[in-house]
Amino acid sequence: MSLVLEGFLNTVALTLLSFAGALVVGLVVAVLRIVPVPLLRGVGAVYVEVWRNVPLLAWLVLFVFGLPEVGVRMPLFWTAFTAIALYEAAFVAEALRSGVNSVASGQGEAARALGLSFRQSLWHVILPQAGRRVVQPLANIAIALTMATALAGVVGVVDMTRAAQRINLELAQPLLVFTGVGLCYLLMAAGIGFGARVLERRLA
Amino acid sequence: MGRLFVAAVLLFVAGCSGGENAVPGGGKLDALLAKAPVHTGEVTPGSTVDRIKKRGKLLIGGSQDAPLLSQLDPISGELTGFDAYLGKLLAQYIVGKPQTELLSATSETREPLLANGTVDVIIQTYTITPARQERVAFAGPYYRSGQAIAVRKGTSGIAKPADLAGKTVIVGANTPGVKAVQDVAPTARIVEFGSDPECLTALKQGRGEAYVQDQALLVADASKDSELQLVGEPFTEDPYGIGLKHGDVEFQRFVNDWLREIGKSGLWQDVWKQTIGTVVTGDAPSPPAIAS
Amino acid sequence: MFDAPGPRFRRRVFWVSVASALVLAALAALALRQFAANGQLDPVRWRPYLTWPVWRYLLGGLGSTVVAAFATGVLAMAGGLLLALRPNRFTRAYAEVMRTVPVLLLVYVMLFVLPSFGVNLPLFWKLVVPLALSHAASCAVIFRAGVGSVDPGQREAGLSLGMPDGAVTRFVVLPQAVRHMTPLLVTQAVSLLKDTSLGYVVSYTELLFNGRVLANYNGLLIQTFIVVAFVYLVVNLALSRVAHRLEARRARIAR
Repeated sequence: MSLVLEGFLNTVALTLLSFAGALVVGLVVAVLRIVPVPLLRGVGAVYVEVWRNVPLLAWLVLFVFGLPEVGVRMPLFWTAFTAIALYEAAFVAEALRSGVNSVASGQGEAARALGLSFRQSLWHVILPQAGRRVVQPLANIAIALTMATALAGVVGVVDMTRAAQRINLELAQPLLVFTGVGLCYLLMAAGIGFGARVLERRLA
Repeated sequence: MGRLFVAAVLLFVAGCSGGENAVPGGGKLDALLAKAPVHTGEVTPGSTVDRIKKRGKLLIGGSQDAPLLSQLDPISGELTGFDAYLGKLLAQYIVGKPQTELLSATSETREPLLANGTVDVIIQTYTITPARQERVAFAGPYYRSGQAIAVRKGTSGIAKPADLAGKTVIVGANTPGVKAVQDVAPTARIVEFGSDPECLTALKQGRGEAYVQDQALLVADASKDSELQLVGEPFTEDPYGIGLKHGDVEFQRFVNDWLREIGKSGLWQDVWKQTIGTVVTGDAPSPPAIAS
Repeated sequence: MFDAPGPRFRRRVFWVSVASALVLAALAALALRQFAANGQLDPVRWRPYLTWPVWRYLLGGLGSTVVAAFATGVLAMAGGLLLALRPNRFTRAYAEVMRTVPVLLLVYVMLFVLPSFGVNLPLFWKLVVPLALSHAASCAVIFRAGVGSVDPGQREAGLSLGMPDGAVTRFVVLPQAVRHMTPLLVTQAVSLLKDTSLGYVVSYTELLFNGRVLANYNGLLIQTFIVVAFVYLVVNLALSRVAHRLEARRARIAR
């Protein structure tokens, strides 16, 4: 029973922490992709393409076994956290960028025409509107991230899916175990969806 | 450009996929096959043996990544190891030629593979346990091994299985090692990785203090890697059997007869010498007594 | 909405570029130095990846990956179409559940739960069916959005010309919807191709699994997975290129 709890807590912790990490890194990458410095734009674009186009499982295996070889030693949980956060950051960056792009042109120009400076129009016109528009895409990423944490079980982290599987080997009650775990994931996704709706209303 | 590239890749792949390990093994296997018996007795029409004979090839569920036991050489497409060679010899016995096809199985998939007839036999360090015997018929045991402990050279404080208590122990995912560790040291923290090299790398990178795995595998690892050290003797006894479809008593008797025959003729020992015997010192053990 | 950059701004851009280039180069050098210090850059460890047999094996895995992705794609599109055409409580609930349950869990259900009910599919389908079930939900969302993106005026115009309803859907709405959806579907294809790497778990011999077998054989775990990651990158970039191409063409046609 303690195994179930450990797995559940690990999944929740991994989801929350990775999403926070993905938001921070994703914001930085999104800024890189928008700033008027060609080199930095290029870096941002390469980041997104490289991370998005390789399976997370490959990243996890590479991080868990590769990082110690370049002198970075972290516990498994934190290695998985790093890989998942960096991977999802690419998606977060794209969501943020398209959020900003979806308002930028007309609204921004109108603000400038009214005499607001670039900084003012960004803060008072573009970002508030973009903020509301990115909530739903970000919630979708958070849900996808919840699912993605299951892969951490393949590289040694005892997450909910791994725990379920280990229990199943002992109890041979697969239907019960997997339905229970599936419900846990549903519950987490429902929580994320609810949070997103509240946030969206707050921002409106 | 992009589309052209994809098309080129597809063509390329289509050109080079296919062609499973149809070519029988090299010199080692040929020497073994020269001594291998071929079944000459009557075959009941419609029985499993009859079906395999008609098909002309034995379908085996096994591993591609178990050194010394069943490992695929990705370069030559050749499968080597104790389990792999036994499979070839069994095919020779039934069909008259070493025609096999390996379907890679995992501990999770092998029972379904047998139950729905995707494979004829499972030869994959398949430990005979009472629980499994309710779902699978076993021929054999054909090999006896046990779980052993390996540590990084210079590790102190682990001299016997009970010392694993409270330690972080690396174990192959879904191997008998998981349960074995839980039995001898319930407070040990178990970390699972999918394959032997992953476990080995993890041990060397300090992801755990000890690595519990089948002794033969550990001996093979230690022979290639001077950083690795085995602790004591195996602490479990795992009889490996050849998995067959549940309830197929006739085929079970047939395979057991074959195992007895190659045990008596010394072929079993020859296979051992060519595979596990290349890293384990000493004479070949005697084959385990067949249960029924 | 940017001001045209003045000389001071351009100077600032230049210095920021130089500074960030230096930082990046330093980071890369540091990582490489560590990597080399651990012997991971030794030519011996990389030379196997210049030989044809190793590539033949890896590309064979890529072939299986593509086959699995293709089968999944076809099933997921069919399922998605079915779901999108009948929006009722059941299909909505289905999409909601599939959007939140990890594919890995579905794969495990396929491996452990269904066999005890007598459903035992071959290995290939044990990978493809869960993937298809999951991706069908995403495809349905894409289809619905695609149809929704067509201006309702188009349908009304068709109807007012006296075309029957089915014909309007087939000849007016769908062609435009398909054009809108194609880039999204290609993105979905990339994600699907990546998901076939779960073959690693069910030991279906796709690219990542073959990478594992290869690493098992030559002991070059890190090098092998770097090469495998690179192959995924190249294939998926090629796929995304197609998506960009289609999007660009759509933009041209729309204008």
